[in-house]
Amino acid sequence: MRAVILDGIVLGLAFGLLGVGMTLVYGLGGVINLAYGQIVVLAAIVISLRMEDGWATVQAALVGVLAAAGVAVLLDQTLMRAVYRQHGEERTLMGLLLTLGAAFVIGGLLTWRYPAGALYINVTGEPVSILGVPMAVGSVWASVIALAVAAVLLLFFGGTTFGRGVRSVIQDETGARLVGISPSFVRTVIFALSGALAGIVAITQSMSGPLTVNAGFELTTFALIVTVVGGLGSVAGAFLAGVLLGVVNSLSAHYIGQYITTIILLGAAALTILIRPRGLLGR
Amino acid sequence: MLEVAGLAAGYLGEPVIEGVDIEIRTGEAVAIVGSNGAGKSTLFRAIAGLLPPMQGRVVLDGKDLTRRPAHRIARAGIAYVPAERHLFPAMTLKTNLVLGAYPKRPDRATLELVYALFPRLQERQRQQAGTLSGGEQQMLAVGRALMARPRLLMLDEPTTGLAPIVAQAAFEALEGLKKEGMTLLIAEQQVPLALSVADRGYVLENGRIRLSGTSVELDRNPEVRRAYLGVA
Repeated sequence: MRAVILDGIVLGLAFGLLGVGMTLVYGLGGVINLAYGQIVVLAAIVISLRMEDGWATVQAALVGVLAAAGVAVLLDQTLMRAVYRQHGEERTLMGLLLTLGAAFVIGGLLTWRYPAGALYINVTGEPVSILGVPMAVGSVWASVIALAVAAVLLLFFGGTTFGRGVRSVIQDETGARLVGISPSFVRTVIFALSGALAGIVAITQSMSGPLTVNAGFELTTFALIVTVVGGLGSVAGAFLAGVLLGVVNSLSAHYIGQYITTIILLGAAALTILIRPRGLLGR
Repeated sequence: MLEVAGLAAGYLGEPVIEGVDIEIRTGEAVAIVGSNGAGKSTLFRAIAGLLPPMQGRVVLDGKDLTRRPAHRIARAGIAYVPAERHLFPAMTLKTNLVLGAYPKRPDRATLELVYALFPRLQERQRQQAGTLSGGEQQMLAVGRALMARPRLLMLDEPTTGLAPIVAQAAFEALEGLKKEGMTLLIAEQQVPLALSVADRGYVLENGRIRLSGTSVELDRNPEVRRAYLGVA
């Protein structure tokens, strides 16, 4: 039981890290980035290619994170320009369509060029004992990274002038403009940040098993579920939702069966929309 | 200090205001009066850059601000408090004020000044902005605008949704601001209140300036009295 819950928390931290990059972009401008999972995959492929070339893991990972952030900025400056010119429902719809297109293009190019592409970062070492449960070193590392990212993001949004500026755009875009904040600049920075987070997801996901070239849509789906349950634009909400969903996933996999878990997670998202549409910590 | 010349603005290609000329000198309080739908908010939105003007110019201290994005105009020194206030509801009152100084860190003296003007805000500084009463939200909106130490403060219908006593108090606070040397541009449907604080005024009707003059002149004008002061 304890092992199952710990497994769930490890999975949940990964979910939270996965969701946070999507929820920030969604909260800021109403755009659901359906290409998010493909950006994760792109980072994974970049890292794996560097590692095949004999680069050290840390350097390769850094390049992967930068590449993902770069692609995000490219999307922001091209496709997203057209999206942010729209407002309300039109913006959300156009965002869905264009990012879905980007997902197919990025995913398609990657599977065509690297059909067997996969990233596996093998973290060697003896299992670490946590609360008497032996945990794989890779999972422990992935969780530590997720927690560190959560802490950095919370400090950034709570304690810095720019971070407060970002939150103000999430809460009232017109109000933000009136106090001298440029929503489009904030969105570009956050899109880049979301790309960098996708790169970090690529690293942590591949620490417990290989991340393959066709994992994009599955990653996007889980990120979307976390976004819905956690609440728009909430960092703490994403991690809280991630851990809750992770534990639910782990328990249902253990007591019912692996086949049921995705259905249960989607059910949790649907239930959230029905009883608490703004999510756990959304405004 | 502020010069608005031949300004036209509106929605979907249809101008709501047209050919609007107004001028404000440093330290003055100027009122824009007019009935609901006369175009007061459109005029303010166009000056503040929330609605790009179709024609005309907005010049602050010799600097042309026409068609600059709203955040640039705010940083150039025009603070706009819209009737809808646009506060940050899930942040504390204090954080709302701190953001008013963006991108700078808030300066102590300005914060003290805002608290001195609205002691109520200091009492509630840890409360979430979304939970404040209408009057408190209005104080916070004005306070947030003041945090940037603007050259010009524009207030759109500052008494919207306020009880008469609170509205009176709000205008007393504006009187205090004016004494501090703040330049004010106020749009108001409650004409007597507006003229009580303003030095001069413009009457806006169907998107055009119909009349202008000192507050005393407007107050005596038979047309103004009939249309806005409820005097036969």
